[in-house]
Amino acid sequence: MKITVRAFARFREVVGDVTALDLPEGSGLPALLADLASRSDESRDLMFDEQGTIREHIIFMVNRKRVARSTLDTIILAEGDEVAIYPPVAGG
Amino acid sequence: MITITHEDFDPGIYIDAARDRQVGGIVTFTGIVRDDGITAIELEAYREAALQELEAIGDEARSRYAIQSVDIIHRIGTLSVGDHIVLIVVGASHRGDAFRACEYIIDRIKETVPIWKKEHSEEGSRWVPGEHS
Repeated sequence: MKITVRAFARFREVVGDVTALDLPEGSGLPALLADLASRSDESRDLMFDEQGTIREHIIFMVNRKRVARSTLDTIILAEGDEVAIYPPVAGG
Repeated sequence: MITITHEDFDPGIYIDAARDRQVGGIVTFTGIVRDDGITAIELEAYREAALQELEAIGDEARSRYAIQSVDIIHRIGTLSVGDHIVLIVVGASHRGDAFRACEYIIDRIKETVPIWKKEHSEEGSRWVPGEHS
């Protein structure tokens, strides 16, 4: 299934602003992140800590709705979803 | 009006536009680029989501406080010291609600609106760390 990833700030610099991913049906956010992380050491360091855990500060949106940390592992993505990844915001 | 723009704005125009027969006070917050030894600051937004979030914050402010109007203008792009970053204009019948709503709005913007700042200086560049995760 086709998923569009939009990355911002430091994440954009490392993985690019828009990435089209083709993930297996039933994939979730950890699989999406693993795909992005596999592209470079820099990307892996940004996404995962030394234990392979998704870094605490990463914020996800799926179709412009923020994903609660507690549901990070349980959300199943669907064809055409737009996933955004970014660090804590600093506007204002 | 709630918007995200590359263009500069004139706070006076928005203050005047907030005048209404039921409005007894207009409170504004203008965020500007501070001189922290930087040469420029770059603002980036997840524009569609940021706009949606600003609209939601405006609605929250209206439901929590007795206010007549809310304007939020947030700039993106490359800015210099002294440039406007953000403008919030709140019109209300009474000052208390206007002050509280204005503070509520800027605090919420800093918490949730997907906008980031990168500072450029002689020493290099760095992303301004967010206060909330």
